[in-house]
Amino acid sequence: MTLSTHKAQKPMLSPKKVTQTLRHVLLIVMAIVTLIPVVLVISTTLKTPADVRVNPFGLFTSFSLQNLIDAWTVGRFSDYLLNSILLTVPSTFLVVAISTMAGYTFARLPFRGRTLLFYFVVLGLLVPFFTFMIPLYFQLRSLGLLDTLPGAILVLTSTGISFGTFFMRAFFSDLPMELEQSARVDGASEWQIFTKVMLPLVGSGMGALTVFTFLANWNNFLVPLLYLPSGDFRPLTAGLYMFTGGRSLDVGPLAAGTLITILPVIVLFILLQRQVTQGFISGAIKG
Amino acid sequence: MSITSRSLAPTVTRRAQARLGVVLVIPVMIMVVVFFLIPLVNALYFSVVDFNGINPNPPFIGLANFERLFTDPKVWAALSNNLIWIVVGTISPMVIGLLVAMLLWSVQRGSVIYRVVFFLPYILPGVAIGIVWGWIYDPVNGLLNQILRAVGLGDLARGWLGEPDVALYAVLLTAIWAGTGFAIVIFLSALRNVDVELVDAARIDGANSPQRLWHIILPQIMPVFIMVLTLTLVGGFSVFDIIFIMTGGGPAGATDVLGTYAYSNAFQLNNIGYGTTLALLITVLSVPIAIVLNRLQRKLSLQGTSA
Repeated sequence: MTLSTHKAQKPMLSPKKVTQTLRHVLLIVMAIVTLIPVVLVISTTLKTPADVRVNPFGLFTSFSLQNLIDAWTVGRFSDYLLNSILLTVPSTFLVVAISTMAGYTFARLPFRGRTLLFYFVVLGLLVPFFTFMIPLYFQLRSLGLLDTLPGAILVLTSTGISFGTFFMRAFFSDLPMELEQSARVDGASEWQIFTKVMLPLVGSGMGALTVFTFLANWNNFLVPLLYLPSGDFRPLTAGLYMFTGGRSLDVGPLAAGTLITILPVIVLFILLQRQVTQGFISGAIKG
Repeated sequence: MSITSRSLAPTVTRRAQARLGVVLVIPVMIMVVVFFLIPLVNALYFSVVDFNGINPNPPFIGLANFERLFTDPKVWAALSNNLIWIVVGTISPMVIGLLVAMLLWSVQRGSVIYRVVFFLPYILPGVAIGIVWGWIYDPVNGLLNQILRAVGLGDLARGWLGEPDVALYAVLLTAIWAGTGFAIVIFLSALRNVDVELVDAARIDGANSPQRLWHIILPQIMPVFIMVLTLTLVGGFSVFDIIFIMTGGGPAGATDVLGTYAYSNAFQLNNIGYGTTLALLITVLSVPIAIVLNRLQRKLSLQGTSA
């Protein structure tokens, strides 16, 4: 009895529920605002070319795959996609391999002069790429690496190794000392301790670094813009930029090219969202 | 016997460790020397010679590039754009990020979906972001002007990227859209570590929500707060991609920052020495801030762990 009168006095919705609903309304509005530009790309890509000309940015007013076909063939986005893969996969592999080796050394293998070397690596985190991008251009030219895939792969690798080394060092530092001592008592060599005992324990760190580096190198714009000037090895980002300059009125194929550029990134992110966000968080905190 | 082997083993181990350490560190050091230290030293050299990109023995000109830098009105214009970018582009994502993270804090259902959506812009390539926002700002068919006209604010409709007064802020809004998700996700993970009992105790003691935020929550997430501040501040000095793509520094230099001005000097006007000097200025300005904030962050995290 008392319980029911108490209930009757309460408003239809408890204040807690009201604030919770309000919260969701606010968040949904923010989410829609966040997603509009991505929706716009998809919508413009899937229009008929005639519709794009009349009404380029009205949402989903017609359907055709013609823009995708045009971007893929005439717009050379199939070449750009291949170049993006050829640049991103080797440079990501190199960053992870080199950073893991160096991170292990700086965490676990002391020798005279190691601290000084570490300072040089950390300096790379502090100095913006801008500062030395111009001299690097002339250096690559004199080495015959300008406008070559190996040259761009090496530069992309170099942009990631300072952070990568710092990142992997933190993972190796967290491992307990007893692990390597007991392996040493069992007669394992230092190389075996590294490859058989330690490496398997930093798999999550290497995974996060792989995803992080892949995204950074896939999205990199300045390196191909500067060091692949002729366009033979142009990746998606630089290709997309050149496309805007060349024929700015071709909105349809441009949208399709944008979609081809961002689709791998979005798919990767949705599949590995936990690792990606976790990688960015721990990367920021450990760095 | 056992004593000698015990005292010998660490030396042997230490030697073996040092040997492997040197081998494992060789690749990173080669990369750092060839692709970072040598070009960095060359940057200093380029700033004191008159290099045209061809002459192998460019004439020494001393500090002429630095003198030019201090008297060039375009440098001051670019620098003030950098400052606007840093102030607005740092405060907005941090404030919005904190507010949205607070909203998300107590949400259980759908929290993963919100996180994915909000973080998505942060991982997209700047070129794609620049192109799409260029459409949104399109003077004729752009979404922004269409919305303004639809709600009766048609007078405000304009060519957002074509007018010197608003172009920088239009690009800034795009950068805020792209960068806020990072702040949201980082703040959310920091909030998850906040001592909820303390917050509840403060609520019982009658602290209202701004008071709880200021006195209880903010101090606990301060190290993360400073870390995000460092990243966005330092990024503000070397901003390039999004401005280069959306406006190229125009109209008439209205959106030029140090990065785009250095680029156009070196690669479009062939003033290689001067472009390099401008790029050095970016480092001179951003590195000390990074170091100071990093120290502060470390101090705060140490206090946090000892408390």
